[in-house]
Amino acid sequence: MLVAWRYRKREKSLIQWFDPRAWIMFYLCFLVSTLAFWDVRFLLPFFIIALIVLFTSRVQWHEIRRAFIFIIGFVFFFAILTFLTGRGGSELYKQEHLIRQFKAPFSIFGWVPTLDITVERLFFAVSQFVRVFSIAMMTILIPYSLNPALYGITFKGLRLPDNIAYAMDLTMRFIPTFGRDFQLTMDAQRARGYELEKISGGLIAQVRKLGPLIVPVTIHAIIGSEDIIDAMDLRAFGVGPRTWLDQLTYQRHDRILVAFGVLILLGSLAVGFVGLGKFWVPPELIKLAGG
Amino acid sequence: MNKKLTNVLVSLGVILVIFAIIMFALGTQSIGPFNFSVDQATLVLRFVFVIIGLLIAFAVYYATRENAAWEVGTREVVWMAIGAALYAVFSWLFNGTVFVVPSLSQVSLRPAIAIPMFFGFAFGPVVGFFSGAVGNIFGDALTGFGLSPQWSIGNGLIGFVAGMALLFKDKKKSMDTVLWVSGVLALLTVVLFFFNRGVQNGFYFAASEPVSIFAGLTIVIGFVLVLVVRFAFASNENIAAAVTWGMLGNIVGILFASLSDIFINGFSLAAAVVGEFLPAAGPNLIFAAILVPLLVGAYAAVQRQSGR
Repeated sequence: MLVAWRYRKREKSLIQWFDPRAWIMFYLCFLVSTLAFWDVRFLLPFFIIALIVLFTSRVQWHEIRRAFIFIIGFVFFFAILTFLTGRGGSELYKQEHLIRQFKAPFSIFGWVPTLDITVERLFFAVSQFVRVFSIAMMTILIPYSLNPALYGITFKGLRLPDNIAYAMDLTMRFIPTFGRDFQLTMDAQRARGYELEKISGGLIAQVRKLGPLIVPVTIHAIIGSEDIIDAMDLRAFGVGPRTWLDQLTYQRHDRILVAFGVLILLGSLAVGFVGLGKFWVPPELIKLAGG
Repeated sequence: MNKKLTNVLVSLGVILVIFAIIMFALGTQSIGPFNFSVDQATLVLRFVFVIIGLLIAFAVYYATRENAAWEVGTREVVWMAIGAALYAVFSWLFNGTVFVVPSLSQVSLRPAIAIPMFFGFAFGPVVGFFSGAVGNIFGDALTGFGLSPQWSIGNGLIGFVAGMALLFKDKKKSMDTVLWVSGVLALLTVVLFFFNRGVQNGFYFAASEPVSIFAGLTIVIGFVLVLVVRFAFASNENIAAAVTWGMLGNIVGILFASLSDIFINGFSLAAAVVGEFLPAAGPNLIFAAILVPLLVGAYAAVQRQSGR
């Protein structure tokens, strides 16, 4: 049995007003453009676009709560990790300006834990948060707002060959199903006394412990595929050019959206080409830190 | 010339043109966040290597173009989708934040890597490539990472190379060649590691530490494990072949991804190989050596039962 993403038709939802093909193209332009910047000032417009899309999507909070809490935790984890260690940003800035230094009063084997809070690290953490969170908001919404019946025709409409478009369609449908299968398998194995959390044994023994989870889910998926293959064969899949049940037609607002996306992309690349949009720290803050 | 051959030639030509633009036209500058600088002194030599690589790819395709492994029918389409979805779900669940995997210091733990290898080996290079590449894209999207096309293609190559096992009739002979090639590649990277001990680990969980001796040597451990599996299952050719070809795929794919970071992020050769390749490819190899035989064995049992 297939489990579906939580898509439903939502009236007055901005994201669902558009043609899915147009939305995917806009999303890709958005993604590449966001990745081109490290400057908070340039990232903010993207953050605002993502927020607008989120709040006009009409997706209820309780639907996306779990996904969002996970992403927020993840993004915070990343941002704080780079903030504490100063790693990751060091390729983007050459010198740091110290605000405060915390030094541990003890030492471990001659190593004194030190935390340098610098203007650059602070701003890098902020930039990173804005950047990753903008992308994450846009990405999370896609499965909630894309009608599963339109997956295939959407990818076909993006000029992928029939076979690949259908494979992408099935991939998106299988993901939630396998997630559920994995959960079921884990529960079943736990009921039989399988303990993954208990870390014991050598390296090989630990890796082998993953077998009882990965193997049943994979093999079950392959066996289950026979039904789908039969159903597709019975309907003469791949014999001639495919037709799709639903047709998509671009409306005026879809064309505008695509044009807007391309404009953002070209603009971002142009801005990057001139050399703007690199990591930026407000000069006032540097002065404040005594730079 | 039939249509399929033209398609392959056109796509190889497009890849060549992209490389030419990156290396010759953009090779001296960095544009915005993308650092395309290529060492100008060895530019022509590197470009020759690109051409040789593409010629090898074409030669392999041309010599084996009649082989059933290249066909994409209904079954392959469904397997592609299953492989990609499984890879995405497993990489999302095992990324360490949802679900705690036995952790070791400084190495990336991705048990999911066994999926593209197994799907490539069992169902052919095309299915393997799709499983790795598309699965990686969806897995990254689920986790909240952005997209990194070079890692997706690298993951695709893992499945693709694992699937090339189907192209050779003489399994034993091809397996030995693969072992030699992978061994030499692994040895070269370890040598590079010992000459560059100061290089920092390129992954987020190893905050600004130099690559540890353990992380640097995981690839050797993995290689030894593969050797053990290869000879312990000498009578079961399928398991031995799956593991050896999976190993070559892992080395080629991750090497592709980390070396492309030289162009994309402006890493040095040592930073790419020691900081990225070793901490990723080594542990992958350990997971592959243990999990791929389990999958191949289980699948063989299914095949016996269903008679397909």
